[in-house]
Formats: sequence, C-alpha cells, structure tokens
Amino acid sequence: MSCERFREQIPECLAGRLDPAARERLVEHLESCAGCRTEVAELNAVWRAMENLKTKPEDAPDPAAKARFLAAIEGYKAGMGVSAEQQQTRRVLWFPRRPVWQAAMAAGLLLAGIFAGRYVAAPRQEAPELTQLRSQVESLRQLVALTMLQQQSPGARLRGVSYSEQMAEPDPQVEQALLYAVNHDTNVNVRLSAVDALQKFTGNPEVLRAMVDAIGVQDSPLVQVALVDLLVQVHARGAAPAMARLAQDARVDEAVRQRAAWAMGKLGGAQ
Amino acid sequence: MILDDEAIMTEVRAGDVGRLETLFDRHQPALVRYFVGLTGNRPLGEDLAQESFFRVLKYRHTYQPGANFRAWLYQIGRNVFADHIARRKTEVAMPEEVPEIRGNEMPPDREFQKKQEAVLLRRALAALPGDKREVLVLSRFLDMKYEEIAAVLKIEVGTVKVRVYRAMRELSDRFFALSGERAS
Repeated sequence: MSCERFREQIPECLAGRLDPAARERLVEHLESCAGCRTEVAELNAVWRAMENLKTKPEDAPDPAAKARFLAAIEGYKAGMGVSAEQQQTRRVLWFPRRPVWQAAMAAGLLLAGIFAGRYVAAPRQEAPELTQLRSQVESLRQLVALTMLQQQSPGARLRGVSYSEQMAEPDPQVEQALLYAVNHDTNVNVRLSAVDALQKFTGNPEVLRAMVDAIGVQDSPLVQVALVDLLVQVHARGAAPAMARLAQDARVDEAVRQRAAWAMGKLGGAQ
Repeated sequence: MILDDEAIMTEVRAGDVGRLETLFDRHQPALVRYFVGLTGNRPLGEDLAQESFFRVLKYRHTYQPGANFRAWLYQIGRNVFADHIARRKTEVAMPEEVPEIRGNEMPPDREFQKKQEAVLLRRALAALPGDKREVLVLSRFLDMKYEEIAAVLKIEVGTVKVRVYRAMRELSDRFFALSGERAS
C-alpha cells in the first residue's frame, strides 16, 4: 500500500474508528516511514486542537426556538383542517383508477388548459363582478379572522391568526386585534403566532411603536424575544434606543437582555 | 417505550405532526452546531436550524419510511444552507466572540495558548473551501461515522475518507502557516 493510502486512514485512526487490522498495518508502516510519522504528528496536533472548538453540546433546544417551532406545528395542524386520511380518500374518489380513463381525463385537462391559457393570456380588464367578489372574499377573511381571534379556545384563536396571514391587504381592525392578542392573550403560542402575523403590518410606524411598547408589558421572555427578533428582521432602526434600555434593564430576563444587546448591534445602536 | 427516530418520523409522515417535537428535542442542538460550524455565526445557525425543521414539517411526505432520519435531516439542512448562500451570497463570518491577540504582552499560560490556538484554528477552518469545512464539521464536531456522512452527502464511503483526509491536510497547512510553526 502506498504512503497516500496509509495517510488517508490517519483521521479515522485519530477518531478511534479504524478497524484493528488496518490500524496494525498503519502502525507497522509508521515504524519504517518518517514522512508518514510527521504527517501523523501534524494531523494529530490539529485534531486535538479542534477539540477546543467544539461547542458544549446542549441537552435541549433553546426554549424560544422550541416555542416557535411548536407554534408552527400548531398552526400547521390548524391549517391542515382535514386529516391526511381524508385527503387520501378524496383523491381516490375523484381520480379514475383505470388507465384508459386516466388518459381520457388527462386529454380533457389538456384541452381545458389550452382553452383557459388562451383566455387568460388575452389582455383584458378584470370584470367588475370579479373585483367585487375579490373584495367580498377579503372582507369575509377579515371577519373570520376577527371572530376567531375572540374565541375561547386557543386553537381557534391560532386559526384566527392564521387567517389574518392570508389576507392580501393589511386591515386596521385586524392589525388592532393582533396587537391586542400580542399584549393580552393568555396563551403564549397565540401571542407568538400573533407576533409573526404582525410582520405584514410593520410598514406602519404605529405598529412598530406598539411592538416596542409590547415588550415592556410581556410576562413571557419567549414573546419578548420574538418581538425583538421581528424588529431586527424588519430593520426597525428607530427601536435601537429601546433595545439599549432593555439590554440594561435588570428586571428583564437575562436571555431577553442578551437578545436586546444583539439587536442593538444589528440595528446600529450604541454599544 | 423509547421509539427510534425513524419510527417517529414515519408517524409524522402519516400525519401525526405533533410527534415532531421529540425529533426537534433530539436533533435541534446538534443541527445548530452544524450550522454554526459552517457559518461561524450562532444566531444565523439557529435560524437555519429552525428553517430546516420547518422544511421537515412541510416536506414530511418525502421521507422514505425506514431511511436514516438523521441523514435525511442533514440533507434538508444542506439544502437550507445552499439556499441561504444563494440568497445572501454571504461570506463565512468570523465568530464575534473570538478574543483579540495582542503580541507577547499577555502571560504565556496554557489557557491563553489554548485560546490563541482556537482563534487560529477558527480562521484556518473559515478559510477552507465549503465542501472541506462541511466534511470536518460532520466528522469532527458532530462525530458522524463515515457511512452516515456518505448518506448525508450522497457520495461513496471511500470518497468521504479521502475528503476528510484532504480537508485535515489543508486545515493543518493553513493552521501551521498562521501560527508560523510546524509540529515537531
């Protein structure tokens, strides 16, 4: 075996994963090869030094990250609406099993696609009825979101937040309902989801100010961190002084203070 | 009874998405370490790990029952990282917590030497090409076996072996060049 082949085994040997027979052959080779001995010494020095770069493995995920993920799972469940089994059943019901009918259906869809493509490609004004319908759907979404945000069940309120995210146009009433949820909802997951949903309203300076104020009234560090993160995400430079105060406030949770200090750096605040 | 990752992911795939919490608890900290190793930036590493788990949730149907879950998770993680690079075109940032080295006025104790060594090694690691840095993060920082790394990177085990050696060789060259010495 060439020196190169032996050298390729060195990292495996340093990790203690080389099988005994291969290790024996490597050791035997090293006894007679000064070049490979130097190679082992150098790689060993670096291998050991890398131990100091290893961050201490945490036993559990960061609580804020976990809360966000759990909120996402809840939102996902709420959005699923029907179970996977029901979806499967529906698919089986309308999709033909026999290849000949599948082919016929495919051809039909192709023709419909061509027809629809021509119709869609033609430049035209949107019909007033369609505009009106869109507007009605949007109003309905707002109504559903507002109604659900006022329900007793946290799951229903989460779905309300989820509905609000589907709205094309930010609505002041929904904006206020979300801010209310951030400040007063008893369920942390709803508050976290409401923070995420507020993202589309951050073009409004009033909302940004309300978010900064909300940090002070929160009793949950997770929500405080989520608010700080959103302010950084939307580059709310005006929030830098508030972040500086938060980072210095001894009454605030330490993790929140650290996040605020990080946010201050990101937003260009004084160090 | 403690279920293995693959059994849990099979349940998630079937629609029981709440079971993902267990997989998140088991793998999120290591996934953060993987991204911190690649980027040198902890907050970014946490964000990328979060995005990876969101994709696990979103693309749970693509998991093949019985397939190694950890390898599948890191394949998703690699895609997340590739998308991040494409979107941001970022360079690997030097870690912010690295202490500054100031000539010889510091006491030459062992603790300081270790810190100095760590700083140089971080720099050497950050200067490696991405594929070499990644293979070292997987093998040295996450202690993955070559077979598992091969599954994550979708390459042969023999290729992993050669790539780890070459990465170590280049890291060693860069490290000793920075520190101005060779091992004796």
